[in-house]
Amino acid sequence: MTLEGVLGPNTTIDDAAGITVEAPQAVCVVDDRLLLLSSGNAVLAISRWGDEPRLWCSFDQPVMALCASPAGTIGIGLANGSFAVHDKAGSALGGWGQPSGLASVTDCLFVSEDEIAIVDSGYRVDEDILSRAPWDETGRGQVVAIGRDGATRHLAAGLHCPMGLARDADGELIVSLLERAAIVDLAGRVRQSGFPAYLGRIRATGTGYLLACLSRRDPLIEFLKTETEFVAEMKAKIDPRHWISPRANPEFSHDFPIELGATRLFGEIKPWAPSFSYGLVLATDKAFIPTGSAHSRANGARHAISDAVVWNGDVIAVSRASGEVLRFSISREAA
Amino acid sequence: MSVDFKFASLPKQPVPRFMLSPRRILADVLSSGWVESTIPFLAFICVVVGVALTTEDYFVASNLRNLAQYSADGGLIVLAMLIVVAVGGIDLSVGSNFAMSAFVALFCFHILQLPVPVVLVASLACGALIGATNGVLAGLIGCGALLTTLATMITVRGIFTLSSQAQMVEISTSARIDDLWDWIGFEKILTMPIGFWVLLAVAIAIFVMFRQTAFGWHVLAVGGNRKAARHGGIRVKATIFLSYMLTGLIVGLSGFLFAARQNSISADTGIGMEFFVLTALVVGLGGFVPGRGAVVPVLIGFATIYIFNNAMINSGFRGDFVQLCMGAIIIVILAIDVKFRKNRHRLLASTYLDPVKVTLAPTKGMAGLMPHEIVPKLARARILGAGELDGPEDVILDRDGNLYCGNRDGRILKLSGPDHSEISVVAKIGGRPLGLAFDAEDRIVACVAGMGLLRVTLDGKVELLTDQTGRSLLSVQDDTSIRMADDLDIAPDGTIYFTDATKRYDIDNWGLDLLEGRPNGRLLSYDPKTRKTRTVCDNLIFPNGVCVTHDGKHLLVASTWGCSILIFDLADLASGPRIFLDGLPGYPDNINRSSDGGYWIALAGMRNPILDQAMKYPGLRQRMTKRVPPTNWLFGNLNIGGVLRTDGAGRIVDALWDAPDGPLYMITSMREHQGALYLGGVTNDKIGRLELETADRGWTGQQSYWGKG
Repeated sequence: MTLEGVLGPNTTIDDAAGITVEAPQAVCVVDDRLLLLSSGNAVLAISRWGDEPRLWCSFDQPVMALCASPAGTIGIGLANGSFAVHDKAGSALGGWGQPSGLASVTDCLFVSEDEIAIVDSGYRVDEDILSRAPWDETGRGQVVAIGRDGATRHLAAGLHCPMGLARDADGELIVSLLERAAIVDLAGRVRQSGFPAYLGRIRATGTGYLLACLSRRDPLIEFLKTETEFVAEMKAKIDPRHWISPRANPEFSHDFPIELGATRLFGEIKPWAPSFSYGLVLATDKAFIPTGSAHSRANGARHAISDAVVWNGDVIAVSRASGEVLRFSISREAA
Repeated sequence: MSVDFKFASLPKQPVPRFMLSPRRILADVLSSGWVESTIPFLAFICVVVGVALTTEDYFVASNLRNLAQYSADGGLIVLAMLIVVAVGGIDLSVGSNFAMSAFVALFCFHILQLPVPVVLVASLACGALIGATNGVLAGLIGCGALLTTLATMITVRGIFTLSSQAQMVEISTSARIDDLWDWIGFEKILTMPIGFWVLLAVAIAIFVMFRQTAFGWHVLAVGGNRKAARHGGIRVKATIFLSYMLTGLIVGLSGFLFAARQNSISADTGIGMEFFVLTALVVGLGGFVPGRGAVVPVLIGFATIYIFNNAMINSGFRGDFVQLCMGAIIIVILAIDVKFRKNRHRLLASTYLDPVKVTLAPTKGMAGLMPHEIVPKLARARILGAGELDGPEDVILDRDGNLYCGNRDGRILKLSGPDHSEISVVAKIGGRPLGLAFDAEDRIVACVAGMGLLRVTLDGKVELLTDQTGRSLLSVQDDTSIRMADDLDIAPDGTIYFTDATKRYDIDNWGLDLLEGRPNGRLLSYDPKTRKTRTVCDNLIFPNGVCVTHDGKHLLVASTWGCSILIFDLADLASGPRIFLDGLPGYPDNINRSSDGGYWIALAGMRNPILDQAMKYPGLRQRMTKRVPPTNWLFGNLNIGGVLRTDGAGRIVDALWDAPDGPLYMITSMREHQGALYLGGVTNDKIGRLELETADRGWTGQQSYWGKG
């Protein structure tokens, strides 16, 4: 897939209304009324767009993932690989066991009211997954289910950078893979691939799915994957911060490499310039075929969309780069 | 002012004497103009070898003289046709014109009994008149060339037939004998017939016309792109008219030579000649190619067709069979030639970029001075001319504090002091003005990419100083033209030292020079007294900024992709450069004097670990340019730049950066003037002005170079 047709560029994300949130990662809708936002170590809540976010609960670890069960139980994934379960009011619900050996929780989903599935990308928070993903062939990711009684089921292992979890139309769990740009089931079968982006979380919308994308794919990175000697030296000698890789922030820095078309003219980056960071939300149908998209292009700032949900008919998305929660609509292609 | 470094103790910078790379040689050969004639030349060789093997004594001296005798008129007409094809037309009337001119010559000689020089003039006039008729119709009025010359062909043929029938008997029975007439027709100089020497002289004249004369350039321009030629100020209609007339004139000369040699004409004189000539032209040019004045290939094509035709007829083949063979062979030659041309461009495109391994010295002398380590001092700079400038690569100030810069559109602009808010045009040069310097007479000397070195007076008079230097030894590609004059400085004796940053790439694709990493640039000098340009040092890695040291004895040259500053001893330039400063954190552009005896170095961009590593992988860069779209090529970070200040010995003592997203992101030049630093950038639309707290407020560059004036 290329950024053409329904995936063609627009300024929807740059034009969107936004709420500034410190270090946001995830959003979650509870009972169609309450919107929970992660902000660093805290979870904030708003009942109506435009309200000042209020503290809902807080932890001693950065909050990485949020999910809600049909009954309104809230799952909260934390950066150290643990998770918490709270009720609608924000009070902790005890009795849930803790998984062991997880690097970090990147997403979670209630399998039932008594069991929660957790996605572990295999990368600790201090390991920049965006920098490393293109150059790491090892599938370190896994999906585990934790029962209220503490029982742990390993649903999938050996996944390459899993980022999001959702149910397909038949209720089967599906996983979005960051670097493989694919959606797979727990057996690893590819449901859809070839997305033009590094995928973040996947969320069911009723008519299809929303795919939050952390960046778009880049021909230079794809080419360098064939240059094994160069990549080996890069990994051995250069700090991952300087690697050629997708990035979360569209910042200028003296020690980052750039691509030829990304040179500033009159101080500005052209919207169509190549960029290692990008803001993109894809809307798909139930077969994961894209039906619409929202963009923040090379000259925009709302990049690295880590999560996107539908709330009151609008898309609510998280931009890690700008530190905002955004509200916009995606015009869908007529089915 | 004394400097505290010893030139002799600085490390030497190795400079290759020549570049030896099979890929480069292949690319240079493929990009040479003469390669276009490869297939016609090979076809010629094949015909010569074929005829030599099958026909006994064909290439003996007597037969060659005979061939030269009879081929002159055909050769002249091929050259005549080349002119009209080059201008974008065609002349089908050359055969009729040839016959008519020959008839006029014979009529004037035998019937009117005129002297031979007058006969020559009459014959030329006849040809020129027919050519002028074509020129009026096809050039001035705008009738189609094909139909116009077809009509002329038929009409002139009709007039020729009527006239020749009326006078043929009288001409045939004329007893007039003239020594000069016979000399032209039958005598030889250096064993070769007069016609051959005439053909040679005309060929040389046309060759020179296309290469060296304005009219020849206009013909090629009109043929290449008529609309562009018109927009370029060329009188298109007049050029076409004159081309047809010149064609007719040469055909008239050919008719005269024929008449002097044959002393008779017949009803079929010149019939079919236009097709023979067009065939030779197409074989020589590899097609019907307007805008190309290739004299030698066309003569090779003519020789191929002529010898082949002559050898087959001499061997006793029937005329129709000869025509069949000729047609088939021409088709084969053209097919091979078209295929060769097509693949030649592909091959050239894939071989032109010739990367080499480059290992840069690690960054040094920057402890505590990197952008993330100090406050961005350029954030305090005032912005001048925002949005009104386009790419001020260099900035310079005159004695009165007026600021000057080059603009992308080829103008030199003046920002009047002291507030620099009023912008006016000093001169419209064209090209892309880059480095600027004031000479002792307060004139601006400018390096202009694509043009060379120019001098501009402050009242707007522009003078080209030089655009060529001597050709490099052992270079396949002609590198005499100065391709990307970049920056300059003027020594105390008035000699202008300037850089030609790259001989292989233009201002629009100079970035490829970085990916190549080869020493493609050179340092040149121009002496205004002798008006001589010479290459001081060839094979430097993207030589960019130039600065004469404070003592006037040395010359600093920035090597942009080498991330270093080289130094030359002006008293001993032949000893080559030494390294004044290397391991810079970015890509140095211009260098200029500072008031404290040191130097300012502009950094157009910053190094980064990934590109430094990629420079050690030439194969990777080569493959990248083939497999990755150009917009996605890994490149130097030109989105962040700055300014370094060094002391007189080249130690970095300060660094000026803007905020990462600030307006002064890429700095290609800076000038200190009365306590302020002015900053320009080739991709920017503004100039920065930074107040320097500790600088000498009375110091100006002009005074530093030329005193108080």
